[in-house]
Amino acid sequence: MSAGNILVWIVWLAAAAGCIGSALAVVALRNALFSALALIGNLISLAVFYLLLSAEFVAAAQVLIYAGAVMVMFLFVIAYVGWDKDIAWTGGPRWQTLGGVVAAAALLSELVVVIVLGATNDLEHADHVSANFGSPASIGRLFMSNHLLAFEVISIVLVVAAIGGVILGAQRRRERSGGIR
Amino acid sequence: MSAGSHVIAACAWVCLLTPLAAVCAIALGGNRLSRRAAGYLATGSTAVSFVAAVTALVATLDRSAGDRSRVTTAFGLIETHAFKINLNLLVDPLALVMMLVVSGVGTLIIAYSIGYMKGESEERRYFAYIAFFAFSMLLLVEAANFFVLLVGWGLVGLSSYLLIGFWHERPSAVAAAKKAFIINAVGDAAMALALFLLIQHTSTLDFAGVFGQAVLLGENAWLINLVTAGLLVGAIAKSAQIPLHTWLPDAMEGPTPVSALIHAATMVTAGVYLIVRAHPLFEQAPHVQQTAAGLGAATLLATGAIALVQTDIKRVIAYSTMSQIGYMFLAAGIGAYGAAMFHLVTHAFFKALLFLGAGVVIHALGGEQDMRKMGGLRKRMPRTFVAMLIGAGALVGLPPLSGFFSKDAILSTAISNGTYGKVLFAAGIAGVLLTALYTFRLLFLVFSGEESELVRKSLAKHKGTEGPRWMTAPVAVLALLAVGGGWLEIAGLWHPFSSFLEGVAPPFAAEPSVAREWLLSAVSLGVALGGIWIAWTIYSARRQQAPRAPGALTEKLYFDRAYDLLFYLPAVSLARRLGAWFERPVIERSGEEIGTGALAGGRFSAAIQNGLARTYVLLVAAGVSVIVLLFLVLR
Amino acid sequence: MLGPAIAWYLVVGSAIFAIGAAGVMLRRNPLIMLLSLELMLNGANLVLIAFARWHGSLDGQVFALAVMAVAAAEVVVGLGLVVAMARRKIEIDIDLLSRLRK
Repeated sequence: MSAGNILVWIVWLAAAAGCIGSALAVVALRNALFSALALIGNLISLAVFYLLLSAEFVAAAQVLIYAGAVMVMFLFVIAYVGWDKDIAWTGGPRWQTLGGVVAAAALLSELVVVIVLGATNDLEHADHVSANFGSPASIGRLFMSNHLLAFEVISIVLVVAAIGGVILGAQRRRERSGGIR
Repeated sequence: MSAGSHVIAACAWVCLLTPLAAVCAIALGGNRLSRRAAGYLATGSTAVSFVAAVTALVATLDRSAGDRSRVTTAFGLIETHAFKINLNLLVDPLALVMMLVVSGVGTLIIAYSIGYMKGESEERRYFAYIAFFAFSMLLLVEAANFFVLLVGWGLVGLSSYLLIGFWHERPSAVAAAKKAFIINAVGDAAMALALFLLIQHTSTLDFAGVFGQAVLLGENAWLINLVTAGLLVGAIAKSAQIPLHTWLPDAMEGPTPVSALIHAATMVTAGVYLIVRAHPLFEQAPHVQQTAAGLGAATLLATGAIALVQTDIKRVIAYSTMSQIGYMFLAAGIGAYGAAMFHLVTHAFFKALLFLGAGVVIHALGGEQDMRKMGGLRKRMPRTFVAMLIGAGALVGLPPLSGFFSKDAILSTAISNGTYGKVLFAAGIAGVLLTALYTFRLLFLVFSGEESELVRKSLAKHKGTEGPRWMTAPVAVLALLAVGGGWLEIAGLWHPFSSFLEGVAPPFAAEPSVAREWLLSAVSLGVALGGIWIAWTIYSARRQQAPRAPGALTEKLYFDRAYDLLFYLPAVSLARRLGAWFERPVIERSGEEIGTGALAGGRFSAAIQNGLARTYVLLVAAGVSVIVLLFLVLR
Repeated sequence: MLGPAIAWYLVVGSAIFAIGAAGVMLRRNPLIMLLSLELMLNGANLVLIAFARWHGSLDGQVFALAVMAVAAAEVVVGLGLVVAMARRKIEIDIDLLSRLRK
């Protein structure tokens, strides 16, 4: 156990605690604003993970775009809609709550089982990677060569989303009362 | 095979199948056929059968006496390696006699129906049924093996059920039809069991095969007694002898021509035919054969007595039929097969005549059948009176009418055959007295005396003929036959009838001497005249002073009551109990529960469709976890 | 590589995914639902990045970027809907939008 290793472990554990804790906070908190803030915490912890996994560009993108843009949008909407309203935490049929927890627990346990089974055999040794692994240049090169189509399609998706957002947000001249219900 | 033999075979098939063709034509024609046309079809087909039967007779007479059997085969019905049954027809003297009677008398009666059933709403159905009966009866008598005979047996039972219950809106008719069918079913079951035994021991049901092994079978007393007992029970049920006789009086609910054809002339004589046909078997089982004679004697006495107190004109004639068939059973039981068959033929003539004449009376009186309301019809319907008088005389046995010759043959053979025979003779003579009494009671009640009110009212509208032409003509023909039919067999002078049958059914009993026959004829004639005189004194002149009938007789000797207690009530109570304990709780409730269960299951499943998106996500997650689990496990 | 083996990252990623799934199934506030949805996507992203590191291939990271872009697009639409609901004075409660029934 070298010093670098121990340092990495400590960072990992902190990031993991942050991830799991903020995830639980997102789901459990009643106030939507606090949930959104918890998600921002989660995203930052994930960015730390990405750095540990040699995905620097992705980590940067995560913080800049996800935490910086998407979550800000979320916060705008939460501010508009309001967070003091007393909406029920959960509801629906009795079996919904129990079923939800059970299903999620089942999924988690199955995944853990698979990972543990794999951990002993295949996942032992990670490949060695060069220093360029995860740099913006290499990602960019990939986007421009192997995954060009994906790149273009993503841009179309974003355009469509933008248009959709505009339409959804547009106000009509004659506003009808009654609404969708 | 000579040409004559081909002719006989062809005639046999034509005789059998023409009525069936008529049935199919009427059934398929439906409303496109007019009602008259249906009647003509049915009558025409039986007439064709009669012509075919006569042709076959001529061709058979052409052959030497020993060579008069001809079997013709259509196709195989059941074929196993041990046992084979074909659709065979047999034409021999015994079969020919029956074929001629069935098709001849049948044609006359079906022609009569054209007039009697005119205006009925379901005339076509009637003619289809009655043509079907003709086909079934011909199948029965032309059978060359017990299997085809049993098929014909069952089909005549079916036709009888259909025709008794023809007016199915009447509950009494439906009940009578069921009663007839059920009692016949008892007989059919016994016959089937007898046939099973035969198959087991002889591996064949062909007449030739079985009768050839009769002596061999006779060595096993249990076997032959069981087989013949089964056949006898079947014959008793079909011919309405005691104790399976209760269905015949009720069968009078059917139209009168049906009563004439099925329940007098042909179907009920099938039992006699069976015993005569299977006589090699019966001769090996003397106890059973004597039982047949004894039951015949008992029936002729009991039913003759009951006939004395009946008020319905058709029921008197029905009981008379049972009584006369008792004579035939008596004859067959002592081995006088020729005499039995001869009486069968003459009885067909005069009994059909009596029924059809009664039908004319009933028709003229607008459906009334109660004799107490009739009287004085002689002046208004003289020709019918003459016809009925001929029929009554033949029934009682007055010379030179047909019944005289046939009945006396039976009586004289009886007395010549041991002590048992003498007992039977005594019963037969007593029966003659009873016959004369009830027959002439009927005649006097209906025809003599003053005109009753009903008669006056009904016949006021009638001017001229006594009935439609279609009805009176067959009656006239039958009257002629009743007069002359007996001249086929005059004791001591000539006997073409019995010699014709000798090849097939040689008499088993001792033949009486000619002198004895004529002596006994005189005795029975005297008894008959005595009976007529008694009837005349009571019913003709001093009608009001008829003695009161004993309760036992009006209750038909309590047979119906006994069968009710023994069979009907237990069956009904068992059915009710089963219904309450088993059928309703288990069967009906399970049906209901399947329904409610399905509904409950549906409601349960519908809960999943609650419209919440979160639920659907849950379902997806659950599904995915299950699939992943499967992958894990099956890895 | 230093630090925990890849398997640890995978476990954390699965845990985030499962927690997000539970949140989607349990919460009634559509905003919280969307946040939980984001959690699920992020859990998947982590797994992708981890495997990319393990394979030594950058395809996983490219995929993760694509996922991020798509998640952003989906959030735009989802929030637009929530805003539209709020504007029309509809209760912000997923369970009340149950027209999928029948």
